Amino acid sequence: MEQVLKWGKRLGKKILELTIWLFLLSLMVFYMARLAPGDPLRAYYGDGVERMSTAQQLQAEEKLGLNRPIYVQYGLWLRGALSGNFGISFQYKQDCTAVIGSLWQNTALLGGLSYLLTFLLALLIGCFCAMREDSLWDKLLGKLSMVLSAIPSFWIALLLILLFSVNLGLLPSGGAYDPGGGGGWLDRLVHLILPLTVLVLGHVWYYAYLIRCRLQEEMRKDYVIFALSKGLSGKAVLYRHCLRGSLPYLISLMALSVPHILGGTYIVEKVFSYPGLGTLCFESAKYHDYNLLMVLTLLTAFFVIVCHMAAQAISQRLDPRMKGGKGFGFRTYE
Amino acid sequence: MAFEPMNNGCLSENLGDSSPKLESLSAVEEEDGLSPSLFVFVSKPQKETVFTERVSKRFPLFSVLILGLIGFGCLFAELLMNHDPAFLDLSHTGEAPGKEFYFGTDFLGRDIYSMIWAGGRTSLLIGFLAAAISAVIALLYGGISGWAPWWLDRVMMRFADLLLSIPSILLVIFLGGIFSASTPVTLALMIGFTGWVSMAKLVRTQVLQLKKSEYLLAARSMGAGFFYLLRRHLLPNLLPSVLFMMVTNIGTAVASEATLSFLGIGLPAESVSWGAMLSQADRALLTNSWWMIIIPGLFLTAVLLSVMGISNYLRKEEIQKCSNFTK
Repeated sequence: MEQVLKWGKRLGKKILELTIWLFLLSLMVFYMARLAPGDPLRAYYGDGVERMSTAQQLQAEEKLGLNRPIYVQYGLWLRGALSGNFGISFQYKQDCTAVIGSLWQNTALLGGLSYLLTFLLALLIGCFCAMREDSLWDKLLGKLSMVLSAIPSFWIALLLILLFSVNLGLLPSGGAYDPGGGGGWLDRLVHLILPLTVLVLGHVWYYAYLIRCRLQEEMRKDYVIFALSKGLSGKAVLYRHCLRGSLPYLISLMALSVPHILGGTYIVEKVFSYPGLGTLCFESAKYHDYNLLMVLTLLTAFFVIVCHMAAQAISQRLDPRMKGGKGFGFRTYE
Repeated sequence: MAFEPMNNGCLSENLGDSSPKLESLSAVEEEDGLSPSLFVFVSKPQKETVFTERVSKRFPLFSVLILGLIGFGCLFAELLMNHDPAFLDLSHTGEAPGKEFYFGTDFLGRDIYSMIWAGGRTSLLIGFLAAAISAVIALLYGGISGWAPWWLDRVMMRFADLLLSIPSILLVIFLGGIFSASTPVTLALMIGFTGWVSMAKLVRTQVLQLKKSEYLLAARSMGAGFFYLLRRHLLPNLLPSVLFMMVTNIGTAVASEATLSFLGIGLPAESVSWGAMLSQADRALLTNSWWMIIIPGLFLTAVLLSVMGISNYLRKEEIQKCSNFTK
């Protein structure tokens, strides 16, 4: 019973923190968006704005609620948001939730797959290199990782499209499925190959390198010598002991990588014109579709923060030494 | 990925910051007593174990040379260009590399060879400017945060975390959507305003360390003000790490410019910069005009790689200077 209460208390605290964060973030984003130049009316009415008289424009502003002071607008928005109504997208003339609802699965598929693949591969490469410290392979992979992580991913994407879809004609150059094909899962998979390759190629090396360094650090601890003298093989020590020892580190690394991989996903989506949240972000930024942009920003931040909190909770569970930190959020300072 | 390198540079710092109970990444414990060379598994003698430190020991001559060459080429672009980079030669659109146009022409009929040099000037300018802006913000923010009473420090760091929790590309898109950057300076401002957070955290950590030192206490007891201390004591101590971060940020900013312009929210396609040149890539893909994609990208990559090499070298220097043990 006491345990349940403790957990409930902790959970409540986390939720409170999350709410405060989202509130501050939305306030910031809202003010920045509304104070900025650029005309939301144009996003709503398109070029029709120029043909409207001043009176009509004022009327339109009133209809969209753009003529009130910003804090009143924010209050209205917040009241709507609390009841699940995030306003309409000026560009699509639809509820923001409806616009996002039809696209988020695509992003989740691409981002989730690339995240999993990245870390699986990074773990494999990291272990591989940690076992062979200072060998030719290790150095080679190290150099390669440096080169590949310096190249902007959009350019890698362009090169891959140029090679595989324009010149060899093997893979589609964009989209999530063939427009006429009905969208079976095989079709989707074929469309995912290139974006996934770009994302994994761009991220895997850096994480592999970090994992490798961490494993080496772990391998120099005293217990490793003990395990070896007990007669365990190097492999067994690495996989059973060192990996386990660096698990809390791995988990916080995975949590910290969420915004990076998500950002990468957004860019790659745009390059491959893959219908997802990233493409939506760019479109809404381009057309000053503030409502949609805000929801997208908040959604992304929400996801990232939740990931951080989950990682912290898991790390604490795995390694009780981590518990000292004072309540707040996902980072402790002192 | 284009937004990663900056974060790459700092991720380790973030990690170190996020979980003080984990040993920081780069600090590798030296074992004493036991000689690990007895064991096959840890057969190598103990030396500096972190990979970059070992690799970047040498002066990055190659990187400096390449960056210098490209930098000088862009600085003295007028001497190298054989066409006007802004001139729309409509009788020669989309031509492949040849005798007259060394690197071919783009769809607007501009000579790519000349555009490389003129555009590099814009791209590098944006890189330097953005890095300088973020360095100034980071120094001020991190310095104040490290110096301030704990509650203000906490609030400021929470705000920094808030910014870090949004993917930086989203932040830039957001700013780009709002301010619709169309000149190099506004774009540099945009990139600079989004790139300072992790650097500020680094500065803060160092200020916190310096704060404990006796000579600062002495200076304060003699009545030195914050800005005096910042100028005389903090800045010289912070300089190495700030320099390293700044060089890293230059690379990131150049990559950001290219990414943003390519995605259509940076510089417009008519302007001349490496990113803007790549923004015609969609059409180039349709017509298989590889030179419009590969050539600007190669220059961009060369710059990014050499910046990375230099920043790795600087990081090494910084580690050396900070520790009293290695010479």
